[in-house]
Amino acid sequence: MATYPYGSNYPGSSGPAPGAPPGSYFSSQHQAGGQYGPHSGQYGGPPPGSPYGGPQPSAPYGTSAGGQYGNQAPGAPYGAPPPGGHFGAPAHGGQYGPSAPGAPYGSASSAGYYGGPAPGGPYGGHPYGIPQQRQYGSGASLAGDVPAGIDPEAFSWFQSVDADRSGYISLNELKQALVNSNWSTFNDDTCHMLLNMFDKSKMGKIDLYGFSALWGFLKQWRNMFQQFDRDRSGTINTQELQQALTQMGYNLSPQFVQFLTTRFAQKPARSTIQLDSFIQVCTQLQTTTDAFKEKDTNRSGNVRINYEDFLTLAISRML
Amino acid sequence: MAYHYRPQQPTNNGLPDQGFLWNVFQRVDRDRSGVISESELQQALSNGTWTPFNPKTVRSIIGMFDRNNRGGVDFNEFMGLWKYIIDWQNIFRTYDRDNSNFIDKNELKQALSGFGYRLSDQFYTILLNKFDRQGRGQVAFDDFIQCCIVLQRLTDVFRRYDTDQDGWIQISYEQYLNMVFTVL
Repeated sequence: MATYPYGSNYPGSSGPAPGAPPGSYFSSQHQAGGQYGPHSGQYGGPPPGSPYGGPQPSAPYGTSAGGQYGNQAPGAPYGAPPPGGHFGAPAHGGQYGPSAPGAPYGSASSAGYYGGPAPGGPYGGHPYGIPQQRQYGSGASLAGDVPAGIDPEAFSWFQSVDADRSGYISLNELKQALVNSNWSTFNDDTCHMLLNMFDKSKMGKIDLYGFSALWGFLKQWRNMFQQFDRDRSGTINTQELQQALTQMGYNLSPQFVQFLTTRFAQKPARSTIQLDSFIQVCTQLQTTTDAFKEKDTNRSGNVRINYEDFLTLAISRML
Repeated sequence: MAYHYRPQQPTNNGLPDQGFLWNVFQRVDRDRSGVISESELQQALSNGTWTPFNPKTVRSIIGMFDRNNRGGVDFNEFMGLWKYIIDWQNIFRTYDRDNSNFIDKNELKQALSGFGYRLSDQFYTILLNKFDRQGRGQVAFDDFIQCCIVLQRLTDVFRRYDTDQDGWIQISYEQYLNMVFTVL
């Protein structure tokens, strides 16, 4: 195989396709017919030097200094703990205040953290599976069996999702339990992402504590989703996503938001996204933004980065 | 299935004859729709380790060959897809020297170096952790493909910005987002 010029530590254009079978992905020219669709430009990847629909000068992440990069967005699962008791508090519409929803793995020390009374019926219509109350013995008070720190509602949901009674939720069990508002099951990518986020043991399954955190996480996102689904269609369209992301503190061009809805739409033609993709987009956006922020130490909105650092940053933050 | 099939006598273009592939296609196309869907392909593929083929890999591969955005491949597209998988299989076998159906970090390094990548040892550790779906410290066939595809795509988007080919790029926040989300 060819070697590459010193100083250019990634395969150069003259090289063979790394990893690609002959005549595929990496050939220096795209194959006729563009079998690698995403790379033939159809997703609007800008040509170098011509940025996203007009110059985006120095106010890159948002208009307000504090809320740059959307750091108030939910979905920082391993982030700092929000102020105590917030899962118990009634959801305040549109308040993304300091208590970022979705920091499920916050301080484990505060027992009862997730144990507050759940705001009324977050899973109205039972979209997350119908909790089967009282399946533990006759007349036993449910709360009596719930381990400390676990929301009783999450606990009973866990019981019904854990179909094989293994004490863990597997990927398949998770897939069957999570549905969008049209009752379609969550897509594989999102289920995988959620499993990875809440599987602290790295065993590929979620225990009760992880599940309880997941439950809180989903509840928050579902509330957000419903709030931003202004026309109550059960899906989020481009405008609604733009509003949602803006409210979370992101300042993203309409082109990019359009790209997101197209990319994550269940049916590409429709350009609307469901709850599963909404969660996926927002969570990935958050970690990707965090990664960029790490490199952008002077907050200029631009970074200079080399090939391997770029790969490391991108790959390690892919959910 | 496919992973276990041995290609028939290669013809000039490296593909087994069409009759053979047509048989395979019909078996994989369970609902006889004339299009092999992601789930049909996933059921047909094996990584040799008794775990289901990585759905992400299946989606990536279908996405490459599905020119009409149908979420599946017809017979013509399937012929290209078949060759693609066989080629990967050959590469994988080359580097899986002990025929364990897994490649370890060192083998991964050799494979990717063979493709022309020059990456640090530290990076290979990150890569292995990311794509070791079974938590064995090694990468199975399906995850190996996925790993290479992601690496290729990231390299590709990077190169688009690295016009002077010096291995450094300057990008804005939204450009970075775009790069990452294009590859996702």
